[in-house]
Amino acid sequence: MAGLELKNIQKSYGSVEVIKGVSLSIDDGEFVVFVGPSGCGKSTLLRMIAGLEDITGGELFIGNKLCNAVEPRDRSIAMVFQSYALYPHMTVYDNVGFGLKLARTPKDVRDQKIRNAAKILKMEHLLDRKPGQLSGGQRQRVAIGRAIVRQPEVFLFDEPLSNLDAALRVDMRMEISKLHQTLSATMIYVTHDQVEAMTLADKIVVLDGGVVQQVGSPIDLYQRPTNLFVAGFIGSPKMNFVEVVVEAVNEDNIMVGSKDVARLGVPATVAGVKVGDTLTLGIRPHDLSPATNGAVVGRVSLVERLGNETIVNIELASGIPWLAVLDGDQALRVGESIALAADPAKAILFDRTGQALLAPIA
Amino acid sequence: MTAVAAPALPKRRSLYPGWFYAPAAAVYSVLFLAPTLASLYFSLTRWTLFDATFIGFDNFAQFFREPFLVQGLVNTVIYAVVTSGLKVVVGMLLALMLTSEIIARGYLRSVIFFPVLVSTVGVGITFTVLMHPTQGMINQTLAFLGMAGPGWLVDPRLALFSVALVDVWKGVGLATVIYIAGLVAIPRDYYEAARIDGATKLQNFFYVTLPLSRPATATVITLSFIGGLRTFDLIWAMTKGGPGFASDTIASVIYKQYQAGFYGLSTAGNVVLFILIAVLVVPLTMFLNRKQGHE
Repeated sequence: MAGLELKNIQKSYGSVEVIKGVSLSIDDGEFVVFVGPSGCGKSTLLRMIAGLEDITGGELFIGNKLCNAVEPRDRSIAMVFQSYALYPHMTVYDNVGFGLKLARTPKDVRDQKIRNAAKILKMEHLLDRKPGQLSGGQRQRVAIGRAIVRQPEVFLFDEPLSNLDAALRVDMRMEISKLHQTLSATMIYVTHDQVEAMTLADKIVVLDGGVVQQVGSPIDLYQRPTNLFVAGFIGSPKMNFVEVVVEAVNEDNIMVGSKDVARLGVPATVAGVKVGDTLTLGIRPHDLSPATNGAVVGRVSLVERLGNETIVNIELASGIPWLAVLDGDQALRVGESIALAADPAKAILFDRTGQALLAPIA
Repeated sequence: MTAVAAPALPKRRSLYPGWFYAPAAAVYSVLFLAPTLASLYFSLTRWTLFDATFIGFDNFAQFFREPFLVQGLVNTVIYAVVTSGLKVVVGMLLALMLTSEIIARGYLRSVIFFPVLVSTVGVGITFTVLMHPTQGMINQTLAFLGMAGPGWLVDPRLALFSVALVDVWKGVGLATVIYIAGLVAIPRDYYEAARIDGATKLQNFFYVTLPLSRPATATVITLSFIGGLRTFDLIWAMTKGGPGFASDTIASVIYKQYQAGFYGLSTAGNVVLFILIAVLVVPLTMFLNRKQGHE
């Protein structure tokens, strides 16, 4: 197995720069997820690692080998495509063994490897079928089988679950996670689904506009996003934001308030912040709870009662829509006033440039 | 409790939908069915334009007794196999070239399709001049290069193949266009997956391009094979079936029979051609279009 090192990787199509100097270290055996909205460059970055796109600038090391000009077949990688890319004229057996056949692996060794991969993926009964005779989940399994049979050092997944329905997606997500544990291989996984990112990754790389916004563990990104984009992208439902004014700057927290939010002392880096500055306050919907004298007051605009929790859409005094996810079944009515308490320790302040004023870790 | 199956209701077919078929059925009957049945009848007769005498299968017996007619039958099959085979190979190669990153790709696509638009008789006359054994540009060019050119259209062993080559030149543009449509429809992912698996360009062709362009191949083979079996205009424009009967095909033989006034015999020839096409093309089409597990 091998780690990867990306040093100032750039990609341009003519004058359009799509990857703007990405530097990243991926450890051996790590499960890394590239996540970001459509067009952020995550698939392009993956394809550059695979060797399917040329690297305009920077250096890519797989293991300790500089791979900028190395052909895909010599990079010791395998890739699972969004479309699965299974050859329709070949059986599952032939699809899985195609790479080995090209590598002139002896027939008996090839057969053993194919059957072993089929056993791992529980698809031994599918080996004689053609892709057209398989369901979406089965095709996905075959595509993964084709990757693992080659025993690559790095697995690349390009949105592999996006063609599956919601239930199957959850199942396959768990299977990929188990596969990572079984194979202990380095895996790089591209998705726009932040739930997939949070559940699968050892490390998440959030991309936007061809720039890495933040790299970190899922929980780190959730609890300590470095900017407004990451705060808004990671977490479901997404974080609530509102503009607030600084009322007091204390040693380790900033007192903020507005007509939407009553005084709240948020732990933050206070350097450079003055009374009267306008900041953005971010609070996750799960960090709000009903309280008679809560700091956040609004009017209920929609109630979604899910049984174990209640998702409440609220309109703040200034008209800004917020979401609150409340425990249990809350019998709220549309139009009524609601006061919510916000845990200041979990709130985050962002400056005018969108950077988080995170309090240092104690 | 025992479930009792309800008695099946007798199916009642309404005549109403049938009326929608009626106009097409009328046109088909008048323009296709009636002439076909008339041909079948007249092939069993000795007839002039004004009267017909029923003679059973005598026309067919005579047709197969005439050595030049059998020769025409063999030539027809050879011509169809050669032209369709060459159109598949050349059409595929041209399509591969015209779907790759080459300069003036759009212009070259037009150039290759251009012969399809030209009149077959015009092409035939032009190539007859070009292939003239002494005065033709082809042999003059070969002579300039120090080679003796063959008698393209006057050598009995070559005449049929010379016409077939011209047929390929004229028709390969259509095959190329069909292949281009087939090739551009192959998803790029297959090539990328093969590239990661370590496929060379040649392996890409044999394992991805060739099998996935099978629908295009089936179309090209079927169209050109039927076209080859029915060929007449190019043969007539270039050799009139000669020298002797060397390049006669069944269609040119039938035409000659009509010219000579043997209407019954030539109609029997047409029936034989019809059966020949059906016998060869139906199984060929079934083979080419057999299910391959495609979605």
